[in-house]
Amino acid sequence: MSNEILLKATDVVKTFSTRSKKFGRPHLATAVNGVSLEIRRGETLGIVGESGCGKSTLARCLVQLLPTTSGSVVFEGVEISKLSRRALRPLRRKMQLVFQDPYASLNPRRTVGDIVAEPLRINKFGTEVVIQERVRELFRTVGLDVNSLTRYPHEFSGGQRQRIGIARALALNPSLVVADEPVSALDVSVQAQVLNLMADLQDKFNLTYLFIAHDLGVVRHVSDRVGVMYLGEIVELGDADELYDRPMHPYTEALLSVVPELNDTDAPRRERIILKGDVPDPADRPSGCSFHPRCPVATDKCKEVKPALVEIRPGRSVACHYPKNAG
Amino acid sequence: MPESPVLKVSDLKVTFATRQGPLRAVDGLSFEVAPKEVVGIVGESGSGKSVSMYSMLGLVRDANVTITGSVEFQGREILGLSDKEMQPIRGGEIGMIFQDPMTALTPVYTVGWQIVEQLRTHTTMTKAQARERAIELLSEVGIPDPRKRIDHYPHEFSGGMRQRVVIAMALSCNPKLLIADEPTTALDVTTQAQILDLMVKLQDSYNSSIVIITHDMGVIAEMAHRVVVMYAGRPAEVGPEIDVVRNPRHPYTWGLLGAVPRIESRNDRLATIPGNAVSPLDIPEGCAFADRCEYRMDICTKRPQLKGANDHLDACWLSDEQRVAIRTKASS
Ligand SMILES: Nc1ncnc2c1ncn2[C@@H]1O[C@H](COP(=O)(O)OP(=O)(O)OP(=O)(O)O)[C@@H](O)[C@H]1O
Ligand SMILES: Nc1ncnc2c1ncn2[C@@H]1O[C@H](COP(=O)(O)OP(=O)(O)OP(=O)(O)O)[C@@H](O)[C@H]1O
Ligand code: SF4
Ligand SMILES: [Mg+2]
Ligand SMILES: [Mg+2]
Repeated sequence: MSNEILLKATDVVKTFSTRSKKFGRPHLATAVNGVSLEIRRGETLGIVGESGCGKSTLARCLVQLLPTTSGSVVFEGVEISKLSRRALRPLRRKMQLVFQDPYASLNPRRTVGDIVAEPLRINKFGTEVVIQERVRELFRTVGLDVNSLTRYPHEFSGGQRQRIGIARALALNPSLVVADEPVSALDVSVQAQVLNLMADLQDKFNLTYLFIAHDLGVVRHVSDRVGVMYLGEIVELGDADELYDRPMHPYTEALLSVVPELNDTDAPRRERIILKGDVPDPADRPSGCSFHPRCPVATDKCKEVKPALVEIRPGRSVACHYPKNAG
Repeated sequence: MPESPVLKVSDLKVTFATRQGPLRAVDGLSFEVAPKEVVGIVGESGSGKSVSMYSMLGLVRDANVTITGSVEFQGREILGLSDKEMQPIRGGEIGMIFQDPMTALTPVYTVGWQIVEQLRTHTTMTKAQARERAIELLSEVGIPDPRKRIDHYPHEFSGGMRQRVVIAMALSCNPKLLIADEPTTALDVTTQAQILDLMVKLQDSYNSSIVIITHDMGVIAEMAHRVVVMYAGRPAEVGPEIDVVRNPRHPYTWGLLGAVPRIESRNDRLATIPGNAVSPLDIPEGCAFADRCEYRMDICTKRPQLKGANDHLDACWLSDEQRVAIRTKASS
């Protein structure tokens, strides 16, 4: 990992106009509410958070698959959030996505060889012979049988399909791979194969990953640094081991405390902190700290004053008036 | 002397006749559930967890299915009972919770109506009594303001709240046994914690036994007293939770436990099980795991039976000495 910053997001906001559940009339839902972060070349930045907290929306904004409502995204030194589609095109190939459901993201009527060749053809990678050779090389790289190039997606298992999705993402030598829940649909033994493969590919091609998942174990395993999201905001960011061992935000602490553990050693279990209630509707954001209605340590200040994401120590930020483990 | 089991499943087999030949979804499952015991059934996708539960309850409605074996509930054989005979049992003495709460709820009726119906079917309560009991149940499962919420429709609840409603329904008739098929898989981890916590508390106050089906070893470790590890429709290992998690005996269980990324610590590489789950159309005659097992021997082409000591059984041909050698090597 270097210190070179591959992507820098500043105050990214994304709002959707929706019908609020509560009021039944059109309403603005802020899915991403002012996120700032940096991704360094060669690292894996993990993003965790519960369903609906804005992980996918953030990822899509960062690679400009979704236009941002406001804020700035700089990729390889270029401000990309205001570029036209055409100006964006040469940069797009350097930012690739791997999705959760490999099946939904692969065209069922194309052979898997064609699926992987498609980005190469669109980007005029070379002659058909060169493209075919590249496809075979990609198949070998991700551990798929080159004799299966002419088969269709439904003939493959979930794990194999995810390998096909990864091969396609790698076709154009991207610098950033955004993986949105890439292993959530897989069984644990197959999940482990895909995670190991992603680690090998990162070493081999010096890839940078933005890795999104709701599984806290998976995120710790893959990430160098981790950001925790709640209701469209990053509430805590830091080195993966630090953040897991000494969480500062009460939400991170609660989240980690309730992950079911195998409990196969004599080490004492973290004391469970069971949060009350549900995550609020992003169209009906609480005042002050977004987490205050569920926070076990909230005070009046939390209801009124929104805590900013503050760097407590180099590389360690938290958005809470009363951070733990901060001393 | 242990009390007689609430549920006793012996050599359950469920086969679907398909165009590609017989599909053996469940192939010789046996286990017992003692009073107040929580038994966890764990296995990967397609290993036959749901089919085994549905077939026990007479819920596999498929003309091409053949079910054999025996399922005794409180000493009475329930496999093969007619729908009419099963009716007082399902939803009455046996409560059910599914992965998708909407399987158990009807969108066009209020949740109160649905709980009241359930109570009226299985008890002699009057409408007014049933409504009071429904409010009490909603409050027990932690639905705020139950007197108002009882008249709401399922879509007006969040996913976690809906699962609470289903739990209220499942408990409505004081079941002896609660069967929960992936009750928290669709939920977030903080909501999962609320629901699991609720299940444990209620199990305690209702004295029911629970069979919980999940693919999450962590959930098993936190909830279950005993575990059945399934592979390809067969039990690979059965035993007390602590023994199976801390001292697993079957190579499949070794792989399954080693593949779980932990939150407590980080290691560079995860253990993997090579290959993919075996197709239920194509289960080998011998050990079902043999194709993926690195310790396969000649004898593994013969089917290993579940055996062992101290209530900790597994179906594998490895000798105790071989296992000790393998595990000592793996941990060094
Ligand atoms: N196209 C859209 N129109 C309206 N609202 C949207 C749209 N996409 C997302 N949202 C809302 O934005 C919020 C964030 O959604 P997002 O999909 O980013 O969450 P997520 O963290 O990826 O969740 P999950 O873990 O379920 O994938 C949610 O409240 C969602 O309902
Ligand atoms: N009606 C049916 N006809 C044919 N095959 C079926 C039928 N129902 C289930 N199966 C097959 O039986 C096998 C076992 O399925 P089951 O749903 O029990 O798996 P499971 O362990 O519950 O998996 P999951 O974790 O994905 O829920 C699968 O191969 C499935 O495709
Ligand atoms: S019986 Fe043989 S193939 Fe099956 S798990 Fe044991 S050693 Fe492996
Ligand atoms: Mg998402
Ligand atoms: Mg199932």
